[in-house]
Amino acid sequence: MSKLCMGLFSGSLDKLTAAGVILSGAAADDMDVDVFVLLQGARAFLKGNENKIDNLAEASFLKDEFISSLERLKVSTWYEFFEMSKDMTNVKIYICSLAGKIWGGEKLEDFNGLVDDICGIGEYLTSAEEADIHMFI
Amino acid sequence: MTQEELQALAVNKSVDARGTACPGPLLEAKKAIGTIGSGDIMEVLSADEGTKRDIPKWANKKGHEYLGTVEESGFFKIYLKKG
Repeated sequence: MSKLCMGLFSGSLDKLTAAGVILSGAAADDMDVDVFVLLQGARAFLKGNENKIDNLAEASFLKDEFISSLERLKVSTWYEFFEMSKDMTNVKIYICSLAGKIWGGEKLEDFNGLVDDICGIGEYLTSAEEADIHMFI
Repeated sequence: MTQEELQALAVNKSVDARGTACPGPLLEAKKAIGTIGSGDIMEVLSADEGTKRDIPKWANKKGHEYLGTVEESGFFKIYLKKG
């Protein structure tokens, strides 16, 4: 079984969507996946924030076109991609403890139901070291 | 397999993923293949160009046999045999 390690720094709609599509591809391949949610990313995973994310990291002037295209193409939301992937394969989602604190999330219950645990940077690097694929988004 | 042979296959499971863009068809295929037995034939209907390369590669990795693709107007049908 191959393993994917993802550092998810971004909390923007475009990059969260890309991360979700990549995760679902890994899920189709039955890969083991560790996602480490870093700085801005952690804000998107705070409980109740999943539908509030509407900024783009790149080409923000194309936001309306991007969002209406996702709807037209019936693309799942980033949250749904993450949820589906967790249903299909072994996906673990960890929030960086510092990032959580920056946005006011100290404990596991402060985050949405996708999150498995809160961790430190050492765990991320160990996971990246052991993974077949490592990406940073 | 020729186009005629593909068309004549007795399909055990048909997945219509024409309503979704990538990665929808791949995910539909992955879910559906779990519901059929080894040696069964599955067809996946898709209108997403990415699927044409994606599903054969995925099938090969997962030990299923890619039998071929039939073009229809505005979509295509991919045939797989579960390994």
